[in-house]
Amino acid sequence: MLPYIRLELRRLIRTPGLLIFTVLMPLLSYVLFTNINTVTGQDKSVAAVYTMVSMAGYGAIGGLLNYASGLVIDRSVGWLRQLRLTPLPPVKVVLGKGLAAMAAGLPPVLALCLAAVFINGVRLDAWRWLAIVPLLWVGALPFALLGLGLGYLATSQTAQPLNLLVYLGLSILGGLWLPLSIMPSWVAAIGRLLPTHAYADMSWRVAFGGAPSLGDVVTLLVWLVAFTGLAIFGYRRSVRRIAVL
Amino acid sequence: MNAVDLQNLSYAYGGVRAVEDVTLPVRAGEVVAVLGPNGAGKSTTLLMLLGLLPPRTGTVRLFGREPSAAAAAGLVGAMPQAGGLLPRSTVGDLLRFLHDVYPHPMPIAEALDLADLTGLAGRTVERLSGGQAQRLRFAMAVIGRPDLLVLDEPTAALDVEARRDFWTAMRAYAGQGRTVLFSTHYLEEADDNADRIVVLDRGRVIADGTAADVKRRVAVRTVSVTSLDADYAALPGVVTVAERAGRTVLTSTDADATVLALASAGLLRDLEVVGAGLEEAYLALTRLEA
Repeated sequence: MLPYIRLELRRLIRTPGLLIFTVLMPLLSYVLFTNINTVTGQDKSVAAVYTMVSMAGYGAIGGLLNYASGLVIDRSVGWLRQLRLTPLPPVKVVLGKGLAAMAAGLPPVLALCLAAVFINGVRLDAWRWLAIVPLLWVGALPFALLGLGLGYLATSQTAQPLNLLVYLGLSILGGLWLPLSIMPSWVAAIGRLLPTHAYADMSWRVAFGGAPSLGDVVTLLVWLVAFTGLAIFGYRRSVRRIAVL
Repeated sequence: MNAVDLQNLSYAYGGVRAVEDVTLPVRAGEVVAVLGPNGAGKSTTLLMLLGLLPPRTGTVRLFGREPSAAAAAGLVGAMPQAGGLLPRSTVGDLLRFLHDVYPHPMPIAEALDLADLTGLAGRTVERLSGGQAQRLRFAMAVIGRPDLLVLDEPTAALDVEARRDFWTAMRAYAGQGRTVLFSTHYLEEADDNADRIVVLDRGRVIADGTAADVKRRVAVRTVSVTSLDADYAALPGVVTVAERAGRTVLTSTDADATVLALASAGLLRDLEVVGAGLEEAYLALTRLEA
């Protein structure tokens, strides 16, 4: 599987558009939101931490979702079919793609944390940083599986709009753009059930002095299982149709 | 044990029968051309052979195993007609990857050299010309040193010179005792590069033999004369009889015998004998079978 991960990582480096989309945009939003008008209505130091987590998460989810769902291209050019003739087992192809997609989630997390420290003067205990960075990075794993599922189920025409709809929908409703606390209560109630909210809430809690709640962990795990199921379903469906790509 | 064993393979797309009852054993080390016009079922047969399309009926064994097991053991390399190149990858990345997943690969430099890609290792697949992309597909198919190499119309996108270079590379690979199966619709390519030619027409095997055998059978000529009242179909060598603008047009597998018979029967009027195109040859062959 390592050769496949290396192949994918070298492709990732040749995809600069993804970095602009997942690092630069969240970074700019972060600097604007925290320095022009704080979105939480609370003081700037709170907003600087809160929005660091939301924008890092927004970028990381975008990176994973986008890179993993690029699988639709690999399928449509006949690459996956070609791989079936090699000794590499199909399941390793899927895992390799998912793990490589994880790499696309790290730059936004690091960029936003660094911006928080060096631009907004955020100071947290070292152990909190050591918890937040992996929570934001590894915690985004369900979105890699969601991306793989979309990549198997979508066509090259529907993949982009579907991806954007899922991405923006989950991000907005999950409270990554605006806090759920300022949304109508019924929207907030739905939002709290979404993987995006559970994922960001783990880091918010650590950043503001607590520990991730059991509810968040369970919610995220349930979504992880669901998205894994989606990816497996998509994979099986695609294998049945692979000859008539 | 045969390298390839196709037993009574059939496939239909919707109601259209693409492949019908194809049985094809290939011994290890043979170079076999699957020859046929477009729509003869060549690609469908190769897809089933590779395990990418489940046959409606019949069985496929590669080295005595299921196609997927043979692929997992690194025994199979295949070159698709088009596609199969991962976007935003370089020539070197793709070859390196395949080099790493096959159990007994050739060095990357050797694959680059064999496919005449030396110097292009750093180029991304988007920036390759059609011919270079096709050479990359060939390098990707052979770098794992598969015992069975399957090429689906490998020269369809190449110009004359590139074709010649391609076949030189293919023969170099086959010369190491590998089994090679390629499809083509050019009789000449099959004749020049294969030990054995299998002719497919409308999904059926209509001829199978050495290049010389099949070439003789498909070396059909068109003999035409001004029509007289006669039983042209009964003449020696004649396969088909058609009437066009007052002339009788015969396709014959033995033009000499046909012309001699025409002469002795007093039927020679404005004789014309021309080599028939491959389409006529296929037609003649299918009539012979019927």
